[in-house]
Amino acid sequence: MAILLRFFRRFLLYKAPLLLGLLSIPLAQLADVGITLLVGNSLDRAKDATDAEWIQTVLLWMAVYAVGHCVMRFYQRWLIVVVSRRVEVDLKNELFKKLTSLPFSFHDRSRSGDVVSRLTSDVEAVRMVLGPGIMYTLGALIIVPISLAILFTIQPLLAVLMVLPMFAMGFTMKLLSGRLHRQSTAVQESIAGISHRAQENFGGIRIVKGYSREDQQARLFEVTSAENRNNQIELGNARGLTNAAIHGSFDTTFAVILAVGGIAAVDRTLPVGDLFKFIDLTLKVFWPLIAIGWILGMLPRAVASGERIEELLDEENSIQDGDLKLDVSEIEGSVAFENVSFTYERGTRPALSGISVQIAAGETLGIVGPTGSGKSTLLNLVGRLFEADSGHVLVDDHSVRDLPLDTLRGSLGYVPQDSFLFSEAYDENIRFGADGEISDEEIDRLIERVAMKDEVAEFSEGKKTLVGERGVTLSGGQRQRTCIARALARNPKILVLDDCLSAVDTETERQLLGSLQAAGHGRTVLVAAHRLTTVQRAHKILVLTAEGGVETIGTHEELRSRPGWYADTWEQQQRTESLAQSIEREVAEAANASAGRQA
Amino acid sequence: MSSADDIDHSELVATKAWDSSLFKRLFRYVRPHKPLFFASFAVLLLLFAGELLGTRIWRGAIDGPIKDAAGQADKSPYLSELYLWVGGYLALIVFTTVLRYFETATLTKTGQAIVHDLRSAVFRHIQRLDLGFFDKRPTGSLVTRVTTDIENLSEMFTSGVIVLLFDLIKVVVVLAILFTINVKLALITVATTPILIAVSLSFRGGARRAHREVRARLAKLNGYLQEVLNGIRVVQVFRREERVGQRFDEALREYFIANKKTIFLFALFFPAMSFAVYIIQGAALWAGVRAIVDVNLTYGEFVQFWLLLNMLVRPIRELGERYNILQSAFASAERVFQVLDTKPEVVSPARPRAIAAAGTSPHVVFEDVHFRYVKDTPVLKGVSFEIPPGKTVAVVGATGAGKSTLVNLLLRYYDVSSGRILLDGEDVREVDLESMRSRFGLVLQEDFLFAGTVRDNLVMEREGVTEGSLETALEAAQALDLVERMDGGLDAEVAERGSTFSTGERQLLAMARALAANPDLVILDEATAAVDSATEHKIERATARLLAGRSALVIAHRLSTIRDADEILVMARGEIRERGTHAELLAQDGLYAKLHALQFTGAA
Repeated sequence: MAILLRFFRRFLLYKAPLLLGLLSIPLAQLADVGITLLVGNSLDRAKDATDAEWIQTVLLWMAVYAVGHCVMRFYQRWLIVVVSRRVEVDLKNELFKKLTSLPFSFHDRSRSGDVVSRLTSDVEAVRMVLGPGIMYTLGALIIVPISLAILFTIQPLLAVLMVLPMFAMGFTMKLLSGRLHRQSTAVQESIAGISHRAQENFGGIRIVKGYSREDQQARLFEVTSAENRNNQIELGNARGLTNAAIHGSFDTTFAVILAVGGIAAVDRTLPVGDLFKFIDLTLKVFWPLIAIGWILGMLPRAVASGERIEELLDEENSIQDGDLKLDVSEIEGSVAFENVSFTYERGTRPALSGISVQIAAGETLGIVGPTGSGKSTLLNLVGRLFEADSGHVLVDDHSVRDLPLDTLRGSLGYVPQDSFLFSEAYDENIRFGADGEISDEEIDRLIERVAMKDEVAEFSEGKKTLVGERGVTLSGGQRQRTCIARALARNPKILVLDDCLSAVDTETERQLLGSLQAAGHGRTVLVAAHRLTTVQRAHKILVLTAEGGVETIGTHEELRSRPGWYADTWEQQQRTESLAQSIEREVAEAANASAGRQA
Repeated sequence: MSSADDIDHSELVATKAWDSSLFKRLFRYVRPHKPLFFASFAVLLLLFAGELLGTRIWRGAIDGPIKDAAGQADKSPYLSELYLWVGGYLALIVFTTVLRYFETATLTKTGQAIVHDLRSAVFRHIQRLDLGFFDKRPTGSLVTRVTTDIENLSEMFTSGVIVLLFDLIKVVVVLAILFTINVKLALITVATTPILIAVSLSFRGGARRAHREVRARLAKLNGYLQEVLNGIRVVQVFRREERVGQRFDEALREYFIANKKTIFLFALFFPAMSFAVYIIQGAALWAGVRAIVDVNLTYGEFVQFWLLLNMLVRPIRELGERYNILQSAFASAERVFQVLDTKPEVVSPARPRAIAAAGTSPHVVFEDVHFRYVKDTPVLKGVSFEIPPGKTVAVVGATGAGKSTLVNLLLRYYDVSSGRILLDGEDVREVDLESMRSRFGLVLQEDFLFAGTVRDNLVMEREGVTEGSLETALEAAQALDLVERMDGGLDAEVAERGSTFSTGERQLLAMARALAANPDLVILDEATAAVDSATEHKIERATARLLAGRSALVIAHRLSTIRDADEILVMARGEIRERGTHAELLAQDGLYAKLHALQFTGAA
């Protein structure tokens, strides 16, 4: 509960609308109660009246109360719920900021689905209880005691007795809320199950049809669907029980009024108008009481959500800025690893151990080795996506920990292995890399440099075309080239290429490497690759072992003639160059040749 | 970006809230569950009768013992009469409380029973549709047909159609009862009720639009969040935390504004409804007090009137919501029936011609086959070749040459545009699809594993797969090691789409699956993904075992797998350019020979 109060402090940033909204709650409720009293009193007055002229005055008052109630009711929702949405905006922005600032190791160990649900369902659970929840609770906490107090002054015994079934209702609601929650989670899960089955079946339809497995698959689907049906029916039963409990205790309240009130009415100690007040006020406290039950049911979840949100907000940022006063422009670009070791948080063995290698500013270092030898990990250490456990990573003889992050990362042009691009305009993705403004001409030059000019020209809206589902779907090779353009847009001192040419064909690779060499002039290049042709021209090639150690270091010529992983792999890769690709080139060349003859 | 762009257009199919032809069709799915359907109706009816009776008891007690006791010295006879009313009331409460349980429970049961049938039927039908149908639609939108659309329909059955119908009955019956109490009061109520209905209905459209916009904005916001998390590395290395923060904030503001609209509408709706109710109550008070003064109305009647009024409000307030439920249910029904009305073209003939029983290698002939997926873009231009029993034909060629199309046609995923494909002398279009396909073993590009155990995936409930044949298949496919390494062996769980396995491992399992049923004809459409050399070697050995003694069509990218083929076809742009054995093709000194030379002397 204390945790929810801490979150409520965020609501206090919007004092004026919040206070006005909270104030309008009692006013709305009082006006509503007032109407019941007016009607009840009129009934008693009508009994002995000889004319009905006075009813007009009553109606006038009723109109005033009605307008008052409606206006206040509008404001309470409008003000309080909007404040709760503002708090949602603040909280989500704060969480987002936190997320983007947390070190990569945090993102690496947490599942993105979990993180997303912090910002979605957890924030919503807290908001519901603190926004609409407080509105309903406060409303109930006002109308219920006021109504009971008024009824108490009329007939104390009856007022006390009718509270009992209300308590019973609250109690059963609390008992059943756990079951309701469990059942609805089960329903959600089985709906997800149906969706997965269908997704899988429609996606793998070739296999299903190819093996004539339609019937079998349909039977499996029916099992999943039936599970959902059964869960839904269970949930329906739980809801039925809840409804029965609520209405049963509510009706029992009326039975108490009929019995006790009836006796008093027979005894003439309770006028019928007062009996009416009991009936009408009970009708009016019905929904507020249900709302309280509903909110009590949500509380445990909201508390748990609040705890998860705070946990994320309190997550410590282990990567701190270095305090050397050094600007990007002062970086030359030499890189050195000195006896560097690194183990992933959940790793059982070191991903890298005892790596030492250095490359002078403006030179290229190739990093190769079998899958899982730690090529990407090594590159990630340069930009401090991860921090070395021991040893030093140096840029210009400064430990990367001593450099301000802006300076360190500002001098890096990074091309990730997964060729991640945003679903934004194509040119926006390249612009993303530049620290300052960047002209359209410069963008065009970059597009040309990564051999994308012709392809971009064919997009429906050229370089303004959206990337992703709503726009153009780029091939793996196109994505990789675009990522390179983005890195170059930064005009970086150090270019970090993480196996970024794997999806382009050999011809494009050759072209790109040439272009990169031109672009890389004066830059340090760190390039990890699966295909050895990519690193062939590097000044120095680091060969990692499967265990993350250094096998050897040398130039292409040296390594090729030295027995070992590099020489073996080189031979093998030369041989297994894809046949299909070769045919493609052959056919294209034949077509060009005949076109050339015709011309 | 305009708001219209963000909205799922499939939501805009139908705007009608009632479509009787659609409803008639839906009712066919109700028929098997008629008893349940009518039981729900009976429960609602009894509950309604109970509620009405409750108001009558109040009137009876007030106009009976309470009124009669006035001025009487001995109250005891009146008290006993009151106890009778109270007793009756308690009995009624027990009765209605039990019914309350069945109200929700039975309605849910009815709706769920109906939509389960419908969902199964839709799934069954979609599966039978042509591959062309799947090509044209993203998987996600097909999934919606058996999820969201069906849920909308279930909502319609549980809280839409029956309840709406009943609410209408309630309103009419309650109004009618009001007339039996006091005509003047009833007339006033009938005159003022339309205000209530008007408020409820006029709010409906706005609420629907507002909710839809909130949903769209939220989807966009969460989509962006997910995207940034996926690319967090890039964001951080490029120091673009602030930039993405701004973008997020923009999306968040849009979402907030959409929320504000919804809040405004609801903030207006509830008081507006209350106000309309107050108008009715005020009018009733005015007329009621006059009638009481004139002794035309008793207190009991007034109280019953007031309680009945209360019964009117809820159905009318929920009218708009029910209307929206019906509307989206009909839109969903339309989409669902659209799918059910799509008929597959590739189907088994009514009278299939007999083919040889499983166990013999078939003879396959492609005869001048032409094919196009879309008009004016021929993919195959007169392809002819044959696969004699027990022989292997391999196809090489560039991407887009039409290699995989040969597989698609042989499996009858599509039918040829012209020419024909013969299986043991019979046109594949004239034999039974299932008995034909069950003789094939196939390994496709991007081979697919389903959620379930490894065993489920290998067996797929096919006849003819035994423990023994499974073992042999795993061994031949070089997958025994792999299975033994897994926690639980054959009973290990496979994650969705087999994501726990590497591409190479998936391929080995796919080969074991193809072999397990001892197929007569093997179709291999080899994956292009890079696998490490050890796995590659394994796959090559597995392939050789797979093909031994069977008819086979092999689409190849690697030389070693096709060198031993009985015939190699070199395809380019939908035609066969060269054909012959490896040795013959080398001797021809054509395309194949050049490629071979290229491959072995090094491309770079």
